[in-house]
Amino acid sequence: MIRPLLKKIKSFFCILLGLALSGNLFSQNTTIKGFADVLASYDKKASFGFDEQDLFITSQLNDHFSFLGESVFKYDPSSETDFSVSIERLIIKYNYYGNNNIIVGKVHTPINYWNDTYHHGRVFYPTIGRPLLFDAQIIPLHTTGINFQGHDFGNVKFGYDFMIGNGLGSAPVKDNDPYKSVTAAVHIKPVDGMRIGASYYNDVISQGAEVEGKIINWKVNQQLLTGSFAYFGKKFELLTESTLALNHTDTTGTKQTLASYLYAGYKITQKIIPYIRVDDLHYQDGEILFTKDNTQDFVLGLRYQVNYLIVAKLEYQHTQFETEGKNDKITMQLAIGF
Amino acid sequence: MKNRHYIHSGNMLFTKGIVFIVLLLLSFSATAQTETLTVISNEKGAPAELKMTELKSILKGEKQRWRNGNKITIALMKTNTPAGASTCKKIYDMSSDELKKFWLALVFEGKADAPVFLNSASEIESFVAENPGAIGIINQPLANADAHIVLIDGKKSL
Repeated sequence: MIRPLLKKIKSFFCILLGLALSGNLFSQNTTIKGFADVLASYDKKASFGFDEQDLFITSQLNDHFSFLGESVFKYDPSSETDFSVSIERLIIKYNYYGNNNIIVGKVHTPINYWNDTYHHGRVFYPTIGRPLLFDAQIIPLHTTGINFQGHDFGNVKFGYDFMIGNGLGSAPVKDNDPYKSVTAAVHIKPVDGMRIGASYYNDVISQGAEVEGKIINWKVNQQLLTGSFAYFGKKFELLTESTLALNHTDTTGTKQTLASYLYAGYKITQKIIPYIRVDDLHYQDGEILFTKDNTQDFVLGLRYQVNYLIVAKLEYQHTQFETEGKNDKITMQLAIGF
Repeated sequence: MKNRHYIHSGNMLFTKGIVFIVLLLLSFSATAQTETLTVISNEKGAPAELKMTELKSILKGEKQRWRNGNKITIALMKTNTPAGASTCKKIYDMSSDELKKFWLALVFEGKADAPVFLNSASEIESFVAENPGAIGIINQPLANADAHIVLIDGKKSL
């Protein structure tokens, strides 16, 4: 009676020991970080709020494979709980040779500096919010697919991205049509703090596809051309980007949209940085993919960097919409990393 | 008269106190900047000699692998140690806060793995000795025979 019981106990401990050992042998270096921010604004009335809570996980799986995940918890009025969770990035990276990597999963489309650099970490943003071209959905923020990426080659630190993905209208788990999006981007970093980049994006959005909640009633061939210049030095900060969107349908022909912004900051001290940002969105008459609303925006702000994990910003924003007229707003933000 | 004397003595004490604190701070910052640094690496990875520009590029995460294919792992002293503060200044030309932000941003972008930050030179020596491809910076003579010194521009120390 006792012997079988002892045998079972022994087996159980052997399994436990095995599991513990395997845990040690394949121990991973996994870190979890997070970002959040709270806001106070005045726009005809005072208001308090917050943006998103962002959880960011990295894990080194072995010498060549690594994982990066970014999940965002945010306000969603359509949800029963008023909040929803979204997977913003899910990346498995294989470093196959030198600085060359193959990335599969959902990424922030490597189409411009802001989208490829700041992601959802508002503690890194030089201004409180993103430039207008993001809210206007001029560029595809995310792409699910495969990306061939390399960086820091040669004296000018050349980098590249070549990505094939599901494209606009698709879900992260499945493509909605046979068309694939193609992103090709290159950049150089000739001096410390400077990055000059250019990119090309092409996708076909099929008739009936839903893009950012809008049903597209025509087949649209989209091409995006983007140029960017960024310099974050000891005293001056300058970031400017322009995207030219060419949306073609058989009935309307090709319509052009030009979306640009320029950010400039000056470090009075390492902690205190006054800054400005100007945005311009210009749509050609007859544009059917984007919601046409020519907009100009001016932002004047002050950033106070308490430390690398705590940043406070105060901004005045003046926006001139084609459809709704002008709007003035004052916003304060406290952004943190944890 | 007495009151004026007390106020005068008080002012003198206050001035002396301020001078003392300023000198103390200056001596701390001088210490941080004058630390002699030595670059060490695991025998499987870094070459015997590097140029300063190459070292800076490696320590900024711009190079993922050595020529032999080993993955580069960076080990640094914590930025609140004199050697860590000196590494920030001499190698990165950044404050400790700037360095932490630099690495957090780089990891967030998915472009590099963060360095391992350790408390002492001996911990860095052990880490470097145990991990092929590891490179580290210490502020004292190398004691671990399993790690070797990397010459920077032909010199043993920075």
